[in-house]
Amino acid sequence: MNFTTHLLTVNKIIKPFILFVIAIMLSSTTYAELELTISKNTDAGIPIAIMPISGGASGIIEADLKRSGRLNIVSASKITGLSPFGGSIQSDKYKDITDYIVRGKQGADGSLEIELISTSDNASSRYSISKNTNPRRVAHKAADEIYEKITRIKGAFDTRLAYVVVTNKTSANRKFRLYVSDSDGHAPQVVLTSRLPIISPAWSPNGQEIAYVSFENESSAIYTQNIFTGQKRLISSREGLNGAPAWSPNGAYLAMSLSINGNSEIYTMNIKTGQLKQLTHSKAIDTEPSWASANSIIFTSDRGGAPQIYRIPASGGSAKRITFDGRYNSGADAANNKMAFITRRGRGFNVAISSIGGSDKSVLSNGRLDESPSISPNGAMVAYITMRDGQNTLAVVSDTGRAKQFLTSPAGDVREPAWSPYLR
Amino acid sequence: MNKQKNTFLKLMIPAFAGVLLLSACSSQRQNIDSADGSTTGKGSDTTAGDSKTGTIGAGGASSAKNTGNNGGSNNGQSNYDYRSGAQGGSQGRVDDSDITPAGLNDPNNLLSQRIIYFDYNKSTIRPEYMVILNTHAKLLAKYPNLKARLEGHADERGSREYNVALSEERARSVKRLMGTKGARGAQMTILGYGEELPVVTGHNKKSWQKNRRVEIKYKNY
Repeated sequence: MNFTTHLLTVNKIIKPFILFVIAIMLSSTTYAELELTISKNTDAGIPIAIMPISGGASGIIEADLKRSGRLNIVSASKITGLSPFGGSIQSDKYKDITDYIVRGKQGADGSLEIELISTSDNASSRYSISKNTNPRRVAHKAADEIYEKITRIKGAFDTRLAYVVVTNKTSANRKFRLYVSDSDGHAPQVVLTSRLPIISPAWSPNGQEIAYVSFENESSAIYTQNIFTGQKRLISSREGLNGAPAWSPNGAYLAMSLSINGNSEIYTMNIKTGQLKQLTHSKAIDTEPSWASANSIIFTSDRGGAPQIYRIPASGGSAKRITFDGRYNSGADAANNKMAFITRRGRGFNVAISSIGGSDKSVLSNGRLDESPSISPNGAMVAYITMRDGQNTLAVVSDTGRAKQFLTSPAGDVREPAWSPYLR
Repeated sequence: MNKQKNTFLKLMIPAFAGVLLLSACSSQRQNIDSADGSTTGKGSDTTAGDSKTGTIGAGGASSAKNTGNNGGSNNGQSNYDYRSGAQGGSQGRVDDSDITPAGLNDPNNLLSQRIIYFDYNKSTIRPEYMVILNTHAKLLAKYPNLKARLEGHADERGSREYNVALSEERARSVKRLMGTKGARGAQMTILGYGEELPVVTGHNKKSWQKNRRVEIKYKNY
């Protein structure tokens, strides 16, 4: 008894101190926190109300669903007289207000219970999300469940983004930093710093490693780095260009562009053995491979006179052009049978999305110099870079084009977002 | 060291600008975009390495730790003291006796022009740079121990890795041309930086033109 009381007292003294230390630690990293500047949303989408959940999960879930462009958030204040989580449901009285209502309860250990109620038929689905060392992930997982139940598309909110931030970009003090954050820009952490360019980050399918290109020895080289242990591995520093790494879906191969045979060609490398296989043989530039499936790679080539996107079997063979609309299409990133890419329209460069075959193209951005699209693993959202107020800014847009968010870094230019696979 | 270099540059800029003005008046057909009279002053100031590796704590706890050497051999110091000299575009007088490594840093010598420019999405050498490149090729032919690095760059438009390949293609065009004029392949290395290291950051035609370039950098000069 006495001992417990003593512990409590110590806790009372130490806790504020610990909080203070944590606050200092956080403030030293927050300079690089991405700031949500503008969020464009239309009212289109399936109406859903998220009832407040103590602990803050409801706000995160709301923001996630809003970003999807498929759901329209109805203010919870319009839902009156609803019993709390676990209570009875008489949802038909809300069906003129919203199609769905979410209510939930946070467990003492940080777990989360969620109930998704359909107002049209009074049906409800319940989900238990277990605790996580990153409490925000618990809410993202809940949003994933809700999104999948309603849209039949697997949710991708519980994912991460990698991106590069460049500070002092025209001075000798220029710094390139590779960051990893949650998919909504929260909890950014530096995984690599260099005075020379870091480009083309790409995730391993297990979400643990990032491949990237570094110029830190005044030549290009491809590395992989484990984001949890920091362990780094040199993959290729061959003569000439070593660029555009892309992991195969099973994690066994890296596709890349190398110029060892005279000009930039697409290769695959068996990561375990280091064995290389050359896929393209053209006199033109072939680069920016992305795996469209386990046995198919799409890439950029200017063999037709200007950059266009082509597809080639991952085992080699003949390449087929898949983009025909416009004079410049490049930088494709594929997921879930869709691809996001750069397309030139008049004087501007924009981000478009289409099927892997090139059909159903729609342009998702309207900046002048949009670039570096990366598609979420479910193919339903695209992160890209756009110029806002003279600064490169991270934008996230839904594949419907209906919801768009801009995330700026006060630290400098944001570049080359790479959307992680589904986390485990 | 650095201070000396800066002082040197400070003296060089007005001197070079003057030469450019004079030469721009005397030559008939100039490329307006490239004869802008600005010097970059970059190149050897950039030191390689100095990379830090961090990790992601399982639950979002931050720990940026320095793992020291990152597989590279020369952290902290550049392998070579490669320097980019003046920009190309104007024509200077040169006869064979002027083709010496010392000429690389003499603003009156054509060899001081070490940057050439490219058309949008092209890696072909513009005719107005043939004389400059021939002169550099002659220098390399005459001094077999001399080594040059050809660094290609692209403007910011379009996708980054395509631009890396495009800029390497530009450097390769320069290497190929100089190779036909007597420079040995082993004397030249090429590197494509893509759009990563712009000289100017404006988002307009004029800036883009200045960034679409190949810089000829000599080891120790």
